[in-house]
Amino acid sequence: MSGLTLTEKIMAKQSGRDSVRPGELVWADVNSIMTMDYLGKSTFNIFDSLGAKELFDRDKVICVSDHLVPPPTEAFANLLNEWRAIVKAHNITYFYDFGKQGIAHQIMVEDGHVLPGTVSIGTDSHANSYGAVGAVGNAVSVTDAAVAMATGKCWFRVPETVKFHVTGKWQPWVMGKDLSLHIMNMMHWNGDLIYKALEYDGPAMTDLSMGGRISLCNMTVDLGAKNGIVAPDEKTQAYLNGVAKGEWEMVFSDSNAEYEAEYEIDITNVGPVVAKPDNLDDVVNVEKVVGTKLNQIFIGTCTNGRVEDFGIAAAILEGKQVHPDINMLMVPASQTQYLEAMEKGYVSTLVKAGVAIGTSGCAPCFGTHRGVAGDGDVVLSAGNRNMKGRMGSKSAEIYLTSPAVCAASALTGTIADPRDLPMPKNFGVTYGE
Amino acid sequence: MANNLKGTVWKAEGYVFAYDIIKQEFWTSALDKEENSKWVMGGVHPDFDQENGFKSNGYSFIVAGHNFAGGGKSIEHVITGLMGAGIKAVIAESFSRLQFRNAINYGLPFITCKGIEAIASTGDELEVDPISGQIKNLSTGKEIQAAPVAPFVAEVAEAGGLISYIQNIIKEGKVDELR
Repeated sequence: MSGLTLTEKIMAKQSGRDSVRPGELVWADVNSIMTMDYLGKSTFNIFDSLGAKELFDRDKVICVSDHLVPPPTEAFANLLNEWRAIVKAHNITYFYDFGKQGIAHQIMVEDGHVLPGTVSIGTDSHANSYGAVGAVGNAVSVTDAAVAMATGKCWFRVPETVKFHVTGKWQPWVMGKDLSLHIMNMMHWNGDLIYKALEYDGPAMTDLSMGGRISLCNMTVDLGAKNGIVAPDEKTQAYLNGVAKGEWEMVFSDSNAEYEAEYEIDITNVGPVVAKPDNLDDVVNVEKVVGTKLNQIFIGTCTNGRVEDFGIAAAILEGKQVHPDINMLMVPASQTQYLEAMEKGYVSTLVKAGVAIGTSGCAPCFGTHRGVAGDGDVVLSAGNRNMKGRMGSKSAEIYLTSPAVCAASALTGTIADPRDLPMPKNFGVTYGE
Repeated sequence: MANNLKGTVWKAEGYVFAYDIIKQEFWTSALDKEENSKWVMGGVHPDFDQENGFKSNGYSFIVAGHNFAGGGKSIEHVITGLMGAGIKAVIAESFSRLQFRNAINYGLPFITCKGIEAIASTGDELEVDPISGQIKNLSTGKEIQAAPVAPFVAEVAEAGGLISYIQNIIKEGKVDELR
C-alpha cells in the first residue's frame, strides 16, 4: 500500500482516520479559524443562526482588522464599529484591532496561530499562506467559517497532490515570489492545478526563508490550488519557538507517497519574472518587459509586505532617490513587521529615498484603500493580483513582480532588471541567506 | 437535488472571474438572492452591465471553459446572485475551488464536464441531470457525460444548503459524529 502525501497525512490525522485517499470527503478538526473586519460580521451572524450554544473554542477563533483600517470612508468606519461590537459580544481571546493590526494571514503565521501538521482556515482567499509552516491552510466562505466556529470542523474533499521538487541554488535578487510566478507560467489556469494540493520540497526549499515560503504558499490560491505546503524543518522550529499557540509535532509525507504529478524545477535557472497586466498566468522573464514606463510602484500585501521585502528594497534604494515620475508606496504586512523593519533601519533608508510608507494592512491591494490606481496608471506591484480593476480603475495596468524588481524599477521609472545593478555592500545580511 | 433540469444556455468566452460575476461595488454584507441577482454577471459582458441585465434573459444554464468563477474570491454573492437570476446549474471544463465549494454549500449544481464547450452554444436548450451527470443538448441532439455529484453534495442540497444541514446536526446533538 502506498503512503500518504503531507496534505493527505494531515487530513487523515485531523479527521481521525489512519488513511485518506484523494476524492474522499471528510470532516476534519480545525486548529484555528481566522475571520476579519470585511467579512467577520457576516460570519458571526451565520454562527449565531446555527443554534450552537457557544464557540467551539474562544482561543481558536482569531479576529483581525486588516481590510478596513484605518477606515478611508464613513461606510468602512461604520462597518468597522459593527465588527468590533460583534467580536466583543463573542468574548474572543485574540482580537488584533487597529494599533495591533496587520494582514490576517501574516498575523496567523507570525503569532503562532497556525501549527504544523494541523488544519487552519480563514475567510479570505490567501489563507493558503499557512502552508508555509507545514499546515494545511485553506480559504473558505463565511458559511464554512461559521460552521467551523460552532463545530470545530470543516468538510474537505481530499485533494490530489502535485509535487514540485525544487533543486539548485537561488540566484541573487531571485525571491520566493519569482518561483510562485514561474510556476504560474509553467502551469497556467488551464485546470491542471485546480483543487490540487501543492507540496514543495527539495534543497532549494530548505534554503528559502520563512518569508519566501509564505509568498510561495500564499499565491497557490491564485494558481487555483486548494493549498500549498512546505514540510516543517529547523527554520520552522526556530520561527515558531516562543510564539506557537499550542503543542505541535513534525509531520512529513511518506517516502512512498503517491503524487498525481511531479515536477522538477532547478531554481538556478529561474530569474526575476513579471506577470503582465490582466492575467496572472501571462508571465515573462523581466528582460522581456524592461523599459516599460511606470508611474506607480507598490510593495506590500500578504504576499510581499515582510521585513525581508523591506530589506531588499532598502538595499537597492540606499543612498539613492526614487525616480521623480514614480509614486512609490510600501506597506508593512503587520505592525510586528513594521517595527522590525524600523529597528533594522530599513524604514528610514526608504523614506530618505522618497518612498511613502502606509499603515500596516491590506492597503490598496484590493482597490478600496489608500493608494488606489487611477485611469491609465501603470502600476508595478509586489502584490498578488493583476486583473482589470483590482487596484482601482479598470483602465489601470498592473504588472506583478518581486520586491527586488519593484525597487530596481523605482530608480529608473521603468521596469528594470535588478541583476543589472551593482551588488550592494550590505547584500545578503538579511536576505538570501 | 433536482434532476432533469431543462432550459436555455448562455455560453461564456474565455475566463469568467468571480470579480466580474459580482462587481466589487456590490460586495455588500447582504447574501440576498433577489438583491444579488439584479447585478449578477455585470462585469462579464457589457449587455449585462445594468440592473437585471443578465437575469432578464431567463437563462437556466451557464456553460464555460476552465476556472469558472476564478480569481480567488470566496464571496458567496457569486452563488446567491446566480441562483437568484434563475441559474439551475453551471457546466464548465473546470471551476475555481472556492466557488465550487460555495456552490456545494448552497446546493447549486456546478458540473465539471470535459468537452462541454464544444457541444453547447448560447440559446441552445439543454436537459441536465446532475445526479447521473448526463447532459443532452436538445437543440442539436448531442449528448455528453459529466462527472456525477457526490452523495454528500446531494445530501447538503436536499437539506437546503450547509446552514440548514448543520442546524439539523446541532439540533440532533450529532456534531461528534461529523467525520
